[in-house]
Amino acid sequence: MFGAITAIQWKWSRGPALLATLIGFLIPVLSLQSARRALLTADEFVYIMQQFSIGYSMLAAGAGLVVALAAWAHDHRGRHVYALSLPVARWRYALMRFGAGALFLLAPTAGVLAGSLVVAAMGAVPSGLHVYPVALTLRFAFASGVAYAIFFAISASTAKTAGVILGIIGAFLLAQTTLAMLAVRYDLLSSVSTLIFSPPGILSVFAGRWMLIDV
Amino acid sequence: MSLAIQTVGLRHKVASSFEIAHLDMAVPAGSVYGFLGPNGAGKTTVIRLLLGLLKPDGGAITVLGESMPQHYASVLARVGYVPERPHLYPSISIEEAIRLHRAFFPTWDQRWADELAGQFGLDVTRKLSALSKGENGKVMMLLALAQKPELLVLDEPTDGLDPVVRRDLLAALLDYVTDREATVLISSHLVHELERICDWIGLLDHGRMVTQMPMQEFKNGLKRLRVGKAPLALDNAPFTLLSRERTHASGEQWLVQGWNPDMQEYLVSAGVALREVVDLDLEDGFVELLRSSRDNHE
Repeated sequence: MFGAITAIQWKWSRGPALLATLIGFLIPVLSLQSARRALLTADEFVYIMQQFSIGYSMLAAGAGLVVALAAWAHDHRGRHVYALSLPVARWRYALMRFGAGALFLLAPTAGVLAGSLVVAAMGAVPSGLHVYPVALTLRFAFASGVAYAIFFAISASTAKTAGVILGIIGAFLLAQTTLAMLAVRYDLLSSVSTLIFSPPGILSVFAGRWMLIDV
Repeated sequence: MSLAIQTVGLRHKVASSFEIAHLDMAVPAGSVYGFLGPNGAGKTTVIRLLLGLLKPDGGAITVLGESMPQHYASVLARVGYVPERPHLYPSISIEEAIRLHRAFFPTWDQRWADELAGQFGLDVTRKLSALSKGENGKVMMLLALAQKPELLVLDEPTDGLDPVVRRDLLAALLDYVTDREATVLISSHLVHELERICDWIGLLDHGRMVTQMPMQEFKNGLKRLRVGKAPLALDNAPFTLLSRERTHASGEQWLVQGWNPDMQEYLVSAGVALREVVDLDLEDGFVELLRSSRDNHE
């Protein structure tokens, strides 16, 4: 059963997954190319590498999002009638869908690892700096897994649940606007953002430095 | 009589204005049960409740001896389901749909699936999204049959199909039933189609079961009687008087259920002059039963 689900889901996810794999390979390579263009001090080299942090986190989030959406999009279109009529416990079916999607995230993760290993093999790193291909790859795998899990849960839920989530986001925006209108000096959105993106916030893995080459 | 499907007091509220209300339904094992009803009667909702796709608000459902929806996984392994609308993933090909489907059904018969594909004239490399409505219907029927189910649940399987495709599908269905002695629940509003293949019928209207009985009994026992003047009340009638209406000054027209010719004596003793007994075909009976049921509920 898992094999059959994986085969079908791969068909829906392979395009974005392979694109993410290619991008995952290119980001580390391009980051090194950019940093090597001029003779830089170690600090400048690290600074250039840091500019590419956002690329890894965006790629992790994007890959998680697209693979999660692909997992459920076709079931949504058929109002889940096919899935519900299969002789398998529903939690098990959802778990198989989740597992299949999680497998596909290994492709972009492998891309990041391959790109990082190429950079490590080039060995053109200023003295005092080190290459961390495995650490970066593990972080990417974890981040894409977190993004995938969140988007999978939202995507698997009903329109009503999605509405509730959008409602909560809307309520925060409304609250922030209301505070501003009442001249209350409190940045609600920043507080929420700090709560989520700072350790041990649920999305803290996306923030901070994603360094392939560091001290 | 063992039952393949039984519901007792089944309730499910669909909307504020529509609900399945205390539905008692009994589908004998080995029968071809025609589930009749006008559009919007609640047939699809009942089918979804039977298969555990919806959760009932009350009552009991037993399918193939197991209670639903509690045991949906083991029951669905023995049920072939063809829904009202295509439910398969349109972006995959027929052969991919077959590969996916067979992974879930241990009783899958690939050789027969191949035979059916040939019989239906299906090119299995084609994508489902590129198929016509009739071809989609054939694919769904193929999947439902090749899993060798004990119970087939078909929700308007031939609705909107041309007569040739309809005949192909029904022929495959009847072959299967004959070979396997499976039970079939087939819903439709195409009354003539069911008349040819069903041995039981159940009539649903506004979420209520109007009647269910063997087809033969329905055909033989449901009559329109044209009578002369008759008393307002009929005591101890051996038949069920479903409706009566005046036709002209001296006559009435009755719709009766459970009629047989011996009952003429009763009419004589009740002072009713019987002028004519009119046979009803399934469609006439369907319409008359609906009309009388609606009159009784107004």
